[in-house]
Amino acid sequence: MNGSYLAGGPAVWLVTIVITTLLLVASTKALWLVVPLLIAIILYYMMFPIVRRLSLSGLGRETAAAIVAGVVTAFAILVMIPLLPWLAAESVAGQETFYRYLEGGRVLIDRVLGGLESQFAFLKRLDFHAEMGKRAAEFGDTYVQEKLSQVLLAAAASLPTLLLAPFFAFFFLRDGTLFTKLVTRGVPNAFFERTVYMFERVDATAKSYFQGLLKLTAIDTVVLGVGFLAVGVPNAFAIAFVAAILEWIPIVGSIVGCTLAVLVAATAHQNDLWVVYGVVGVFVFNRVLDNFFFIPLTVGRSIRMHPLPTVLMVFIGGAVAGIPGLILALPLAGVVGTIVGTIAGIVRDPRLRARNAYARALLQKRVTADLPI
Amino acid sequence: MFGFLTHKKTEHPRLAQLRKLGLFSTLRPRELRVVDGLLHEREYLAGEVVFDEGEEGQALYVVLKGRVLICRQGDPVHGRIAEIPAGALFGELALLDGIPRTAQARALDHCIIAALARADFNGLLETHASTASKIALQLARDLGQKLVARYVTMESRPL
Repeated sequence: MNGSYLAGGPAVWLVTIVITTLLLVASTKALWLVVPLLIAIILYYMMFPIVRRLSLSGLGRETAAAIVAGVVTAFAILVMIPLLPWLAAESVAGQETFYRYLEGGRVLIDRVLGGLESQFAFLKRLDFHAEMGKRAAEFGDTYVQEKLSQVLLAAAASLPTLLLAPFFAFFFLRDGTLFTKLVTRGVPNAFFERTVYMFERVDATAKSYFQGLLKLTAIDTVVLGVGFLAVGVPNAFAIAFVAAILEWIPIVGSIVGCTLAVLVAATAHQNDLWVVYGVVGVFVFNRVLDNFFFIPLTVGRSIRMHPLPTVLMVFIGGAVAGIPGLILALPLAGVVGTIVGTIAGIVRDPRLRARNAYARALLQKRVTADLPI
Repeated sequence: MFGFLTHKKTEHPRLAQLRKLGLFSTLRPRELRVVDGLLHEREYLAGEVVFDEGEEGQALYVVLKGRVLICRQGDPVHGRIAEIPAGALFGELALLDGIPRTAQARALDHCIIAALARADFNGLLETHASTASKIALQLARDLGQKLVARYVTMESRPL
């Protein structure tokens, strides 16, 4: 397969960016649905190999999908029942921990600024240390606290809707092929094979992206975890796992993950700046490994878009739909790009259009055979 | 009263129709149901093009009703290669490899054709390996018969 069915070029990129942006804007109106859908897609690609194994052992696809989705739902409910009251009870202690880490970060900034001021006289003349310290304290006291309570409230409210995720995943597993058949049935004969190809590419794009993302998360957790452990960060693998999940958010995720690890390290080792430098070093090392080895091996070229529209899409996603936009922008652009590329390929193929026109003429001739004018 | 114990379950007409096709003749009812879920049934009017020569093949076709002509591109009269009757298959090389179509396929009559997409067949290989291997075996037999028929035709040609 050489992929010659997919048209490319600036016009295709532009239409892809416009449609993806509109979809992202629409997604902000139904965020409660977007998050479970996104988790459902990830669950689908996680559960698909298990359903396949069960099918190989002789179970029907429907039964296999029902068993796997049922187990996941039961597990989610079992986890949530004790988790919700525990989260409520722990929120006070969690808040204290958060402020402790925030304080650790403030002390770190204070020390770094003090060090900089002692090295550079012009910074002392500007009263850099006091000014930046004041701004950092304001940021921590007002902005972060306000935003944090909003984020936590929104997360708590959306927890029950997450139960929709395994429900959606079950229907994706059970009726995915049926949906493809239904859509393909409405397509004219001339475009049938192109449509089949488009569905294959859409599935391959989403599959390689999400399965690649899961593999990348596992690899990043191990690399960062080992690095943090070597440097001396407490709860190394838990912090590494959170940082690896945050990597799902392009560009911003890395910075937030690194900041989180730095805060934890700075709080645990207030008198040892080298641990903080070590954490940053581990992050930079992991980033380099990701860019040169792990991303090409996992997520790779699943999106099949030029780097320019890819980066543009990430920024547009963040601007119009915030964090969900950042996460969704690339896979959505990959899927929309495949659909737009296939349609553009049909529109630009005069032979296919002629075949369709000929088939319509044949049908017209047939249905009007007994209606002479 | 206990007739249900001895009663032989009658096969669904659709599955009975599929079983008559050489490609699926060795499949069990449950396997037939799985394959039926993957088949795209399409209707072609007499003269309509199913696929063109040189196109990247995405699916194998089985004629359920009518006849299909395999011919050189744009030359259905002098470039006739084969006539595919109901029950037979064509375009099978696309299932094995996405190589370009070697000839054009056109409906000779009003046809009903079932298409099995390569992506679905590959999926079947992963999820229902035994079903897919039965289809692959039948496909190999069909290809073998076509090769022998072609060889015999070439042998019988006067030098």
